[in-house]
Amino acid sequence: MSRRLIPASGKVRAGLIIVAFFLLLAAFGPMVAQHSPTASGPHLLQPPSAEHWMGTTQLGQDVFAQFAHGARISLAVGLIAAVVAKIISILVGVIGGYFRGLTDEALYILTAVFLVIPAMPLLIVLTGYLPSRGVESVAVVIAITSWAGSARVLRAQTLSLRRRDFVEAARATGESRWRIITSEIMPNELPLIASGFLFSVIAAILAEAGLSFLGLGSLTTTSWGSMLYFAQSSQAFLFGAWWWFVPPGLAIALIGAGLALINFGVDEYANPRLRTGKKRRDRSKGRRAQALTVAGSGLAAAETVPAGSGSAEEVAGASTSAGGRIGESALTDSGDDLDTAPAAIRHNPVAGEPVIEVRDLNVEYPTEHGVVHAVQDVSVTLHRGEILGLAGESGSGKSTLTNTITRLLRSPARVTGGSVLYHRHAGREPIDVLTLSAPALRAFRWAEISVVFQSAMNALNPVLTVYAQFDDVLRVHRPRMSARERMALARTMLEKVGIDPDRVRSYPHELSGGMKQRVAIAIALVLDPDIIIMDEPTTALDLLVQREVLDQIMSLRDEFGFAIIFTTHDLALLLEIADSVAVMRSGRLVEYGPALDVYRAPGHPYTRMLLQSLADLGAKL
Amino acid sequence: MRYLLRKLVLYAFIAWAAVTMNFLIPRLMPGDPVTLLVDRVQGQVDPAAVEALREAFGLSDANILRQYIDYLGSLFSGDLGLSITFYPVPVADVVSGAMPWTIGLIGVTTVIGFVIGTGLGVLLAWRRGSWTDGFLPGLTFLNAIPYFWMALVLVMIFAVNLGWFPVSGAHTPGLRPGWNGEFITSVLWHALLPAITIVLASFANWVIGMRNMMVTVLGEDYVTMAEAKGLPERTVMVRYAARNAILPSITGFALSLGTVVGGSMLTEVIFNYPGVGYTLFQAVKNQDFPLMQGMFLYISVAVIIANLIADVVYVFLDPRTRQEA
Repeated sequence: MSRRLIPASGKVRAGLIIVAFFLLLAAFGPMVAQHSPTASGPHLLQPPSAEHWMGTTQLGQDVFAQFAHGARISLAVGLIAAVVAKIISILVGVIGGYFRGLTDEALYILTAVFLVIPAMPLLIVLTGYLPSRGVESVAVVIAITSWAGSARVLRAQTLSLRRRDFVEAARATGESRWRIITSEIMPNELPLIASGFLFSVIAAILAEAGLSFLGLGSLTTTSWGSMLYFAQSSQAFLFGAWWWFVPPGLAIALIGAGLALINFGVDEYANPRLRTGKKRRDRSKGRRAQALTVAGSGLAAAETVPAGSGSAEEVAGASTSAGGRIGESALTDSGDDLDTAPAAIRHNPVAGEPVIEVRDLNVEYPTEHGVVHAVQDVSVTLHRGEILGLAGESGSGKSTLTNTITRLLRSPARVTGGSVLYHRHAGREPIDVLTLSAPALRAFRWAEISVVFQSAMNALNPVLTVYAQFDDVLRVHRPRMSARERMALARTMLEKVGIDPDRVRSYPHELSGGMKQRVAIAIALVLDPDIIIMDEPTTALDLLVQREVLDQIMSLRDEFGFAIIFTTHDLALLLEIADSVAVMRSGRLVEYGPALDVYRAPGHPYTRMLLQSLADLGAKL
Repeated sequence: MRYLLRKLVLYAFIAWAAVTMNFLIPRLMPGDPVTLLVDRVQGQVDPAAVEALREAFGLSDANILRQYIDYLGSLFSGDLGLSITFYPVPVADVVSGAMPWTIGLIGVTTVIGFVIGTGLGVLLAWRRGSWTDGFLPGLTFLNAIPYFWMALVLVMIFAVNLGWFPVSGAHTPGLRPGWNGEFITSVLWHALLPAITIVLASFANWVIGMRNMMVTVLGEDYVTMAEAKGLPERTVMVRYAARNAILPSITGFALSLGTVVGGSMLTEVIFNYPGVGYTLFQAVKNQDFPLMQGMFLYISVAVIIANLIADVVYVFLDPRTRQEA
């Protein structure tokens, strides 16, 4: 963002041009105008002409002069009111959110009062009582009635920020509260503050127009609202005098649209998911946040954003947590040999027929900095009942690989080559998953491949009961089952994963983290699929629960005989449970073979380095 | 239920705050409102009206606590003083005469605008990245149009120039109000253009809000999981994505209500629609402070009740709020 002075988004550019136009009009328009906005002339209600560029009013006043002066007043009121409102909302929102406790309660209630009480009638009563109504007093009254919404947003953001690592770190180093607020919290709220400011300007311009339209605006000046007031009271629309009342309203709408367009840029900067085009930028934040995200730079950002998973911090958080993970620390001494060493792909003599064959798969993401090859020439084979462990750091391409197999890749990622073959029965012609039609794909999903997501907290729909989330699968894939059979099956599946069957009536928030993950596994098993993709299924759980869930998965595998593709950062875990291991780095498969062989004789320097770092950490293998 | 109870207490507090603000504003504003008023109209006020005014403000030499208690007392007995514009009709009567028109027009159109806007927001989010994104700049433009200006333009085009709709009023003048076909048809006919105006001016706001929320929810794992389950597109879009994305929209609906009601009130002015907004306009024109304040109270209470309804709906939609903590 900082490298570029001209914003890339066409929307932002259009918005800036519109706003700049009106700012120039407000600054220079009154100088250009050849008439006074209030002086009446002999030509009444004339359409635009050379003498009166935008026509005249019923009193013969020059509409252009009024319009240009009105721009000054409307913009001035908008800006003053927005600045005042913003100051109030920052004070109330940030202080309440940061200090919590009684201060917060009181400020929260104060915010609620101003949020709920309708602004327009309150404005009318307040301005009605103002003894003299100047531009400034109108602006301040507007600010008083309009700060609350953005104070609430800022409070919520502050509440969530104060628990983040970089704020905790600042607190631990003994920085003062005000310093934390001004140098750690506020910089991270800048996008919110900026977008709130833009909307405050729009709201204030609209409020001023509304007030003036009611005859309650500043009494001594001409604004767009007062133009509309006089146009309305002299029934301009009955005479078809469009030149009188169309320009002010149009100008208000244009400025509003212009500010909103600029806000699109702010929004998309703050929330990459909202981007409509193909352009994606890395996020950058406050200084500590940046320091923490170094780990998840480059490819990591490119992968996590389209995959729809969390932010860069989560990536960094996951990879910096202890316990023999593939940490980026292992990469610090990476030499050229890591990039140039030949991949160690072994023959993988697993008994049984293949069920998924990935052949020469290539996936790309177009980004602003060029095309990212998230998966390059990857070939792996999963056999029936096999556990394939897929290891690699964030951004290595492992999620892209599994998302390609399940066809869950999000735009703009695209498969540029290769195939994913699914063998339904031995001896029959396999089907290419990548070419399945939409209905065939829906039928294939869950019945043959199901998925267990990393964080069960987010994988279950929070507003549906557990039963409903079994039920919709069964209705679609087993249309002939009766409601009773569906319920019986859901209860059985819950029992299989060690959960009280009466829990089918529960909502996800009523279950613990471990239970949610078991429910997710139970739902994954309900159609007895051939393959289950497990995307770090235990990462989000605490250690004891992790172990229980893993044991559960292993015993269910023995009972049902499904194959698993198990993704993780945790190489030690893979060596323990997997039949074969695939290690990915920068989109390439660097090591592939039976787990034991990979452990005993790692063929690629990257794998050796990972194993070495495990040994250094004293992990028992 | 705890959730609802807490909300109920909060709204009771807000209602009290509105009532108290109403009491304090004339007292805290610089200058004596009655003198101010008499000055402004340069002595053209009926002495009886001045007396009514003093009474309405409860301005007396008694201490402020006494005044406050008297004020609350008369409020509870429904006494809001006498209107100056319609002297000597009580403010309460003026407001209750205007209220049904406003609830009928603004209440119905606000809900219609919300439903249309939210539905479109869902679709636009679902098809994000396609040509439908081209609507967004247009929608932001529509969103920034002042309601009353939209009304002016529509009146000029469709009522004055084309003559398709009546220019003003809530029904054909001279028609006696009653539950008969002729009157009801006339009412609906007169309400159509104002209704179109309010829907047009308000729906873009919901579209943009819902689209943004949907796009965020579409990145959640449960939506991806629903897709991985092989559920039909409609189910994923409605039961998983929209069903969750609408929750903040419900809260947003309640909170934007004040803005929508404010804007719609100005629309009534253009159409001479005899609702709360138009009456408020007249009160402002005639410096009718008791009526203005009465209006403020009524509208505040109406918006508070609407917020409460939205919260009840929210409890039905989000099981997490039903948790007994």
